[in-house]
Amino acid sequence: MQKFKFVIDIQYKSNVRDPRGETIARVLREEGNIPIESIRIGKSIHGEVQAESKEQAEKLVIKACEELLVNPVTEEFKVEIK
Amino acid sequence: MKAGVIVYPGSNCDRDAFYALKLSGFKPYFVSTKDNLDDFELVILPGGFSYGDYLRPGAVSARESSNVKKFAENGGLVLGICNGFQILVEMGLLPGGLLQNKNGKFICETVELEVVNNETPFTLMYKKGEVIKLPIAHGFGRYVIDKQPNVVFKYKEDVNGSDQNIAGIINGNILGMMPHPERAVEKIMGSDDGIKLFKSLYEYIRGGKK
Repeated sequence: MQKFKFVIDIQYKSNVRDPRGETIARVLREEGNIPIESIRIGKSIHGEVQAESKEQAEKLVIKACEELLVNPVTEEFKVEIK
Repeated sequence: MKAGVIVYPGSNCDRDAFYALKLSGFKPYFVSTKDNLDDFELVILPGGFSYGDYLRPGAVSARESSNVKKFAENGGLVLGICNGFQILVEMGLLPGGLLQNKNGKFICETVELEVVNNETPFTLMYKKGEVIKLPIAHGFGRYVIDKQPNVVFKYKEDVNGSDQNIAGIINGNILGMMPHPERAVEKIMGSDDGIKLFKSLYEYIRGGKK
């Protein structure tokens, strides 16, 4: 067994409004004078997993996403194994 | 008539639910997710911030609630209020998702709702189309749909950005709602419009319709 580092990037689906992102983009435009068009705020989860191979590590992390870490109704995710 | 109120770590409307049940004639009990629920006629998942709402509201609690799932799948009546609604959605017992309010703020006020469907065990004492006043207190109450749910309550106005102004939905014997009927069971609380929900359940079960 080897130890693999992983990073999961979770974002709201593109059709789901993100009020936090909208507010922060507006503040940057109006108060900061920075021409930010839009912002979407998601979250990233970093961790380590024991697995036989990189492929198996990816499968395990995707399983964790499907079982708890991501709500498939509102969110989408990408997994990176390092 | 035994009703269980599930107390999760972080529940804070459990006592209100207990009081509302007692006032409606039930014999309420506080229970944990580990307890056997077979003896109960009704189970309530109360409002609060179970497990700190880490990750997403209700996400962790939903994975701790296999006894509730079993109870619901066996036809037991389940009412999820606020955080309880979020837990039911995370459990997959109700469709859709609950996201941050569209104004990004926690909203705490009394709002008007329309009873869209009074042909449920939870609403049979209301009239169809009746407008009632119930408190809301939530940061993540914006209900988004992935498929058309069976709507029971709608906000009269857009309060949090929910699709179709949906405030409560039902799936057979399982009702989830963001407003708090348990916080409006006596006139002294500003409204007693919520008591009819608990009395509806009492009458429904007493009528042997379970």
